Amino acid sequence: MSPMGVGRTLRASLVLPAGAGLLGFTALLLWPATDPAPAPPGGALPAPPASALDVRAPVRLERDPHLAMWAAVERRVTARAAPGRGKRVARLRTVTPEGTDNLALVRRRTRDRRGRVWVEARLPVLPNGTTGWLPRAALGGYRLVRTHLVVNRRSSTATLRRDGRRVFRAPVGVGLQRWPTPRGRFYIRNKLVRYRSRFYGPVAFGTSARSAKLTDWPDGAFVGVHGTDRPDLIPGRVSHGCIRMRNRDIVRLGRLMPVGTPVTIE
Amino acid sequence: MSGVDDLSFDRLDADGAIAESAERAGVVSRATFLGGALGGSLALLAAGSGQAWAQGGPSERDVAILNYAIILEYLQASFYTEAQRMKALRGRAADAAEVVGAVERAHVEAFKDVLGKQAAKRPSFDFQGTTEDQNAFLKTAVAFEDLAVAAYKGQAPRIQGSSALAAALAIHSVEARHAAWMRYLFGVQPASRAFDEPRSRQQTLRVVNSTNFITSSPSTQGRRTPRYTG
Repeated sequence: MSPMGVGRTLRASLVLPAGAGLLGFTALLLWPATDPAPAPPGGALPAPPASALDVRAPVRLERDPHLAMWAAVERRVTARAAPGRGKRVARLRTVTPEGTDNLALVRRRTRDRRGRVWVEARLPVLPNGTTGWLPRAALGGYRLVRTHLVVNRRSSTATLRRDGRRVFRAPVGVGLQRWPTPRGRFYIRNKLVRYRSRFYGPVAFGTSARSAKLTDWPDGAFVGVHGTDRPDLIPGRVSHGCIRMRNRDIVRLGRLMPVGTPVTIE
Repeated sequence: MSGVDDLSFDRLDADGAIAESAERAGVVSRATFLGGALGGSLALLAAGSGQAWAQGGPSERDVAILNYAIILEYLQASFYTEAQRMKALRGRAADAAEVVGAVERAHVEAFKDVLGKQAAKRPSFDFQGTTEDQNAFLKTAVAFEDLAVAAYKGQAPRIQGSSALAAALAIHSVEARHAAWMRYLFGVQPASRAFDEPRSRQQTLRVVNSTNFITSSPSTQGRRTPRYTG
């Protein structure tokens, strides 16, 4: 049907009901005055109530270069050099030696030929810096962090950035030359508090970095970021590989740095 | 376009879109779930009204309903946001996730504003791969939106204050549009029924529970004495 044809049909369909409405309205006016008049259609209705919500305009997600993603390892799993049937790289447990859930820092994802999702993750194994592919189904929900800890061994400083902006800086003690703090990219695996040890101070973070020298150290020789009972030795090369801070600094860092935060030791 | 018009979570499980949910049923038990994130949220729902509503504000029941709604909004907002961050969607599905995600986040913020300290906390989510596959994403999105529409419809007649009802209706129609949009993208009939049925809170939470999308947070803090290298 042409647009003009549609218009004619529309007009015809409107004229008939309008005529009928006029007749009905005239009949209403002529109705005996003894009967109560019905309320005119559409009249005297109250305005709609205001909403309890003050809804803001929707904000679209922006690309965020400072986000890092991690997930808990929910079942024992083999990390492989490639998605699918790649060479075995490491076996991951669900729990850390400290009794907390084991985490993997996710770098990227892909699919294998069967359509299964695999994620490449940094792994808490030697040699430091090892990455491997894990089946997505072995991991829990993704979590995001916006922080990044950078430890500079030469200047003996630790700097925490959030969304790229510096929010914390403190002098640190790092490993002696014979037990060096390992260089590379790692992540925070857990946070320990309320334990009884003056040596480690009031707060200790576990990282995915491990000492390559102290191979017989108990529980895997993981490098920690913790307080100290010898603040007089900081800054400097004083530790077995851990990153030591004055207690007031580690307490402050404990409030600012979430688990899962990427760590760069340079 | 398919004649399918009822894409419930049961169907999703049946045809494998959330196949990993079944595998994980033993990982997060119902008891853990109910005692964990959602359990905490539900406890808050029963907590009653506080100072913020003391003078002429929404009733205790309306606060509970708004808090129930914010849980559903958290679920949707987190789902779309994660889908966008995963960058696994393409074409019109990616565009829709961007727009709908922004709207769901706006709903969350609006509820948080009006509930203040009484707002339920955001639970932990594990979408189990459904944000990383276009087909699984669309199936889940359809189910989420249909669920939200039915949930709002289920509570609207119970709302006591007109301003709370106006808020619920303002969001209900938006969720219905989202449902139609996602259905269209997935290729199922957007509006084949003359009437929609509501879902009660119990029915809705049972459905959400069955997905295992709401999980307990990982345990990342401990009290053991460290044995780091020192």
